[in-house]
Parts: sequence; C-alpha cells; structure tokens
Amino acid sequence: MNASVAWALLLKDLRTEWRSRDRLVAMIVFSFLVIVVFQFAWPPMDSKEMLRFAPGVLWVTYVFAAIIGLGRTFAMELENDAMTALALAPGTRGWIFLGKATATWILITTVQAMTAFVFTLFFRVDLWQGIAGSALIVALANVSICSVGTLLSAMSVRSRFRDVLLPVLLIPTLIPVLTAAVRGSTATFAGEAPPFDALQLLIVIGGVYSIICFLLFDYVLDE
Amino acid sequence: MNASLDSLAPGATIGRSQRVLGWILLLLTPAFAWVVVGAPTDAVQGTMQKILYVHPPLAYGAYLGFVVTAIGGALFLWRGEERHDQLAIAGAEVGTVFCSLMLITGPIWARGAWGPGNWWVWDARLTLTLLLWFVYLAYLLLRSFTEGEERTARFASIYGILGVVLIPLNYWIIDLVGGNAQHPENIQSGSLGEGMGLPFLVGNLTLFFAFAYLLVLRWRVGVLRAEGERLDYENETTR
Repeated sequence: MNASVAWALLLKDLRTEWRSRDRLVAMIVFSFLVIVVFQFAWPPMDSKEMLRFAPGVLWVTYVFAAIIGLGRTFAMELENDAMTALALAPGTRGWIFLGKATATWILITTVQAMTAFVFTLFFRVDLWQGIAGSALIVALANVSICSVGTLLSAMSVRSRFRDVLLPVLLIPTLIPVLTAAVRGSTATFAGEAPPFDALQLLIVIGGVYSIICFLLFDYVLDE
Repeated sequence: MNASLDSLAPGATIGRSQRVLGWILLLLTPAFAWVVVGAPTDAVQGTMQKILYVHPPLAYGAYLGFVVTAIGGALFLWRGEERHDQLAIAGAEVGTVFCSLMLITGPIWARGAWGPGNWWVWDARLTLTLLLWFVYLAYLLLRSFTEGEERTARFASIYGILGVVLIPLNYWIIDLVGGNAQHPENIQSGSLGEGMGLPFLVGNLTLFFAFAYLLVLRWRVGVLRAEGERLDYENETTR
C-alpha cells in the first residue's frame, strides 16, 4: 500500500515530465550555458590541465542544474492545490518523498549524463576512461542531492523568495557530498578506480540523508 | 485564568535559572580577566597569543548552539509545544553570535601570528566552520521567509535537525581531505605552555556560562513574547 504511493507518484512525475519536458529542457540548456560561461572564465589550457579542473566544473554545474530541477519538484503541485491531495494520500508521507525523490533522481541523472557528454565534446577531455566508476559516483551522490533537495524543495516552495531560499538552504548541506564526489571523480577521470574513502562517504551520507528525510517528510506537508 | 498561569510556569522556571546563571557569569568574568592579564606572554607571538583564551571556547558555544537548536526542534516536532521552538530559536541566535565571533577572532589571530595578508586560509576546519555559519544563516533566513507561525516552527525544526547531522559529516570530510595545518587535532595534555592551562580553563568556563546565560535569556524572551501574543489574541477574541 505504502510503496504503491511512491510508485504512483514516480510514474506520475515521469509521465508529466515526458509530456511537457519543461524541467528537462530548462536544466539541459542551463547546464550547457554554465559550461560555456566557465570557458570564458578560465585561461587557455591544454586538455591535460583541463582534466584537473573538470571534476570541480562538472560538479558545480550538476548542483546548479539540480537546484533548478528541484525548485520545480513541488512547484507543479501547487496548481489546483495538489499539495493538499498529496497530504491526504494514505500511509506514511515518507513514501511521497520517496516517489518524488526517485523521479528527480532519474531526471537529474539524465541531465548530468548529457552534460558530461557535451563537456567531453567541447573541451576534448576524455571522460570515457573510468566511465563505470564515474557513473557509480554520480549515482551515489545524486541519492544525497535528491533526498535533501526534495525535502528542502517541499519546504521552500511555500515560502516567500522560494527561488533564493532553496539554494541557500541546500548548498551548505551538500558540501560533504560535493567534496567526496569531486575527490572520487578526480580519480575516475584519470582512469583510476574510484577511491574507497570517497565511495564510503557517499554511501554513508546518502543513507543517512535518505533515512532522515524519509522520516522528517512527515512534518513537511500541512495538515 | 488558571490556564494562562499554568503556561506561564515554564517562563518562571526559565527566569530562575537565568538569574542563577547571571550570578555565576558575573563572578567568573572578573576572574577570567584577572587570570588572562596575569598569564605569561608568549615568547613568539606576544600578547596576540592571548586570543587563545577566547577563540576555542567560542567554538564550543557555536557547536552547542547547533545541538540546542536540533534538540529544541526535535522536541517541537514530537510534542508540538511552542516553548521548545523558542528554545531552538535561542540556540540558533546565540550560536550564530558565537560562530560569528569565532570567525572574527580567528583571522585576527592569524594576521597577528603570521603577518600582513594572512587573514584567511582555506584550511579544512576553518572552511567547514564557515559552512556551519552559513547553515545558521540559512536557518534564520528560513524562519523569516516562511509564513505562518506553526509552519515556520515545523520547517525550522526540520532544518535544525539536518544542520546537526552535518557536523559529524563535516568532521569526516576534514579527515578525508586533510590540510588541517592551522588547527590542532585536540588539546593534548601538556600542549599548552606553562601557566596557560588555568586561564584557558577559566576562559572555557566563562564562555560556557556566557553561552548558557544568553541562551536562557533569549529563550525566556521568546516564551514570554509568545505568551503575550496569545493573551493579546484572547483579549481580541473575547472582546
């Protein structure tokens, strides 16, 4: 019963996204733009030097794009007061969180894959070596980004200045995730296996954040 | 009438503990000043080194503020009582003051010890303390941007709990990236120079009581203000 709430919301969110493609297009365009802006911001570099900057640049882009996507996660539920309907769904509300977070996870992972592909093309940085390790790090880091992001998005959407509030709330909580992800990506981009300490940290943060957000989500929706 | 007297009772208890803490602080402060003035001057850093008696104790206040905010938040989510939310606000505001003072005294010490231009280094612990300061600011911004008192309290409680979870994760990151040259791992016995132990201990005690006093004072103001608003509202509706 409870898991079916999560499943229904996941399918609903993906279907809505597939039909409108609003968030997807906005996030992809934004990501490409950020990468282009970085090109103007740094001095001319050869591709070896570029490889040193790539993890930081990509992760900053990923987080900025994720904030755009997360900001819309609950904004669409405001129409026709769908938030109230969500609050009335049977079972623990954590399952609503799980459905929403999983849909966002799929969305931002797709955007990140496309961004990495474009980055590879434009900057002649070979990200293909160690692609499996990179994918693992992205997948794990996104668990943290989506869990905290979904919880904070549900809160910020009903406040004034919600577009400013979400990044202000979210970015400080993501610094441990970003540090571990950049550390992991630095190794995998160089063709090495992902370092165990970074993976361990990503798994623990992902687990802790998911459990806490699952439990706290009960208090986010109004009675 | 009885109901309003009952709900004033926690305010009265808080008031008593505030007075006790105030007296302790009043006695400790001159003692603190006395031992700091009397402490030996550092051979290398000179008088500047005396920031040691203020800077680390401020850090404890900053972290305690986080813990109080999270405890207040968790109690509010569990029991739904306004006074617990007021405790969380008090923890966040006093913690912000301590965290800010720590971030101000640190660079002054660094500039004094290492010469001009050394206001700031991106040392792991320093960076993460700055991050905690941002979490405090985000908490206070969340409170001021959310509408509806009950909702504000709920959202702030959630963020306060998330904030305290961040502390151990941040310490793990410090271990992971290293680069912790400016801050010792912990104060080992004997790492302080001769005659510096007592002022350091008194400094810790004084700033702990300063933290506790300000916390309880702010808590009391919050509880009384909420009570006043409730009475105002009752007067309005019964008129």
